[in-house]
Amino acid sequence: MAAPRYRTPPSELVRLGERLLPRLPGDALAEVRQRAWRRFLAAGIPTPRVEDWKYSRIDALMAQPFAAPTATAPAAGTVRRAMAGGPAARRLVFANGRLVAGQSHVGGLPDGMRVMGLAEAIQHRPQEVAAAFEALPAPGPFSDLNTALAADGAWIELNPGVRPEVSLQLVFVAVGEPSAVITHPRVVVRLGAGARLHLLESHVAEGEGHVLTNLVAQLQLAEEAALVHERLQAAEGGHALVGRTVVELSAGARLLANVATLGGAFVRNELEVHLRGEGGEALMNGLYLPRGREQVDTLVRVHHHAGRCHSDQFYKGVVDEQARAAFAGRITVHEGAQDTDAYQQNRNLLLSDEAEVDAKPELEIFADEVRCSHGATVGGLEEAGLFYLRTRGLGRAQAEALLTYAFAGEVVARFRDGKLARQVRQGILARVPGGAALDPEGLVA
Amino acid sequence: MAMLDIEGLHVAVGGKEIIRGLDLAVEAGEVHAIMGPNGSGKSTLAHVLAGREDYEVTAGRVRFLGQDLLELEPEERAALGLFLAMQYPVEIPGVSNTYFLRQAVNALRKARGEPEMKPAEFMKRLREAARQVGIREELLRRDLNAGFSGGEKKRNEILQLAMLEPKLAILDETDSGLDIDALKAVAAAVNALRTPERAFLLITHYQRLLNFIVPDRVHVMVDGRIVRSGGKDLALELEERGYEPFLQEAA
Repeated sequence: MAAPRYRTPPSELVRLGERLLPRLPGDALAEVRQRAWRRFLAAGIPTPRVEDWKYSRIDALMAQPFAAPTATAPAAGTVRRAMAGGPAARRLVFANGRLVAGQSHVGGLPDGMRVMGLAEAIQHRPQEVAAAFEALPAPGPFSDLNTALAADGAWIELNPGVRPEVSLQLVFVAVGEPSAVITHPRVVVRLGAGARLHLLESHVAEGEGHVLTNLVAQLQLAEEAALVHERLQAAEGGHALVGRTVVELSAGARLLANVATLGGAFVRNELEVHLRGEGGEALMNGLYLPRGREQVDTLVRVHHHAGRCHSDQFYKGVVDEQARAAFAGRITVHEGAQDTDAYQQNRNLLLSDEAEVDAKPELEIFADEVRCSHGATVGGLEEAGLFYLRTRGLGRAQAEALLTYAFAGEVVARFRDGKLARQVRQGILARVPGGAALDPEGLVA
Repeated sequence: MAMLDIEGLHVAVGGKEIIRGLDLAVEAGEVHAIMGPNGSGKSTLAHVLAGREDYEVTAGRVRFLGQDLLELEPEERAALGLFLAMQYPVEIPGVSNTYFLRQAVNALRKARGEPEMKPAEFMKRLREAARQVGIREELLRRDLNAGFSGGEKKRNEILQLAMLEPKLAILDETDSGLDIDALKAVAAAVNALRTPERAFLLITHYQRLLNFIVPDRVHVMVDGRIVRSGGKDLALELEERGYEPFLQEAA
């Protein structure tokens, strides 16, 4: 008999879920949650035999004896170091998935913009939350787990035409606890026609531990709305993130989605983009730098349902030591989506013989008038560049560090928020071999 | 002893012998031109002197300022005072031109046991040098050579020459791909950098460059060897007669 494609969920995880499920708030959600939970139990945990999980090793991660989180608040310094978006940025802070009201600040927002914790949204508008949960396309096991058990997160709504001048930042702090912890934050963003938002999402850690954040974000952009979504994943110290972001764009809507993964035992960034109306645009840039035994999965699915849309994926990775990175990017141009522009690039720098990169670009095209391209590379530093720098007096180690930094920096140049970009650059310098010895003046600013 | 002294040099690239017994001596303050047809080994010579690792020296020796040059790493050669202006400068997106130059200047100073240059002093010198070479300030902020035109790249090499102040500057086909105005500007910048202590080795296919940078010695390189040396008039002779007579001599 062939090996199973899905494994039965570990009993610890099932017991924890069954204990939590009846206690979650919102009667209107009970049925949605129950259905998702049953789907999760029936499906189980994907093994590498499932195509989308081919390169992921998550058995040990999922078999941890998870407990419910108890952390209440991170240290003020942890939040301060994670701050981005400028001095006026509004912020929601979460400790192991739970909103920390005392460290959050979302006052003084323009009329027509509502930002609240998901727990509050469940309390005040349970039907809408249930409908949003239900609307998640093609849920998989982790999404189902989230739908079943999401207790908190962020609910963000902008009326048509609302364009706040300030950025909004979500700070997820993984606080190390004595036992392994799994959390299921849910983020729902709805932008009305012509609305604009700059959303920052920072994942940081406080102390060693095993916090698994199973995040689902649903971002909905009405006609001509524009969203910049920038995620920095820097939760070092044994923590993990499985994040699925689903974006729905109506006609003329624009998305810029940037992500930098600079730490985490296991990080999976899933991005699913549906261009549903004509003239939509989705620009996606990503950077990952796993080292040690870290693992980073990037899964991008771009669906061109309507014509005259533009999508561009630009992902780069620097993989060192025994780390592993997988990139799977698929562009699907559905029937009738004429005059589509869709591009994808994945470039990887492999710094060690023991490191591994698996790149899998895919194109599925069911329309005729299409301009598509994709390319993937895996390699080492270019000798020509090294030689050039060395003939100018830079030592080999310095030249290698600088070229590696530059390779990664090309992605950061596409970040919009200056502070977040600086945090990413500092993170790159700290991770790149020899980076700490580079002169940061002129590199990081 | 000459500043640069090459004796019986043989170099193989990918198992094929490209330089086949080359002798050359360059004194401080001199400008030498090496001319030759395509494939004669001119650029290979330039890269071997700068320390390219995939070029294999199979015989001969090279002394530079009394040291065995071939024993040194590329960065050690740079610290000693050797500079190669490349025919195809490498584009390095992600590192600004200014940052790169500051690191290079300070790496050389450090290797020589000198203190780092103060940022204000560096910027002052950089602006001066940029003006001299005819490089717009905007190019200093841009990433190193990234998206530069051919002419801008060549000028940027000369800017590096001006900032790094080498004792021996090798210019590998710096004239190729330059229009006449750019060529004149580059030549003027190089002439301004001529000093009694600094030597130049100009590698070129065409005589044109030597109208603007007048050499002390001209060497004709054919098939991996120097087949004829002379004064600046030799370049004119080449312009008139081409390389054909030398190719026949070599054969």
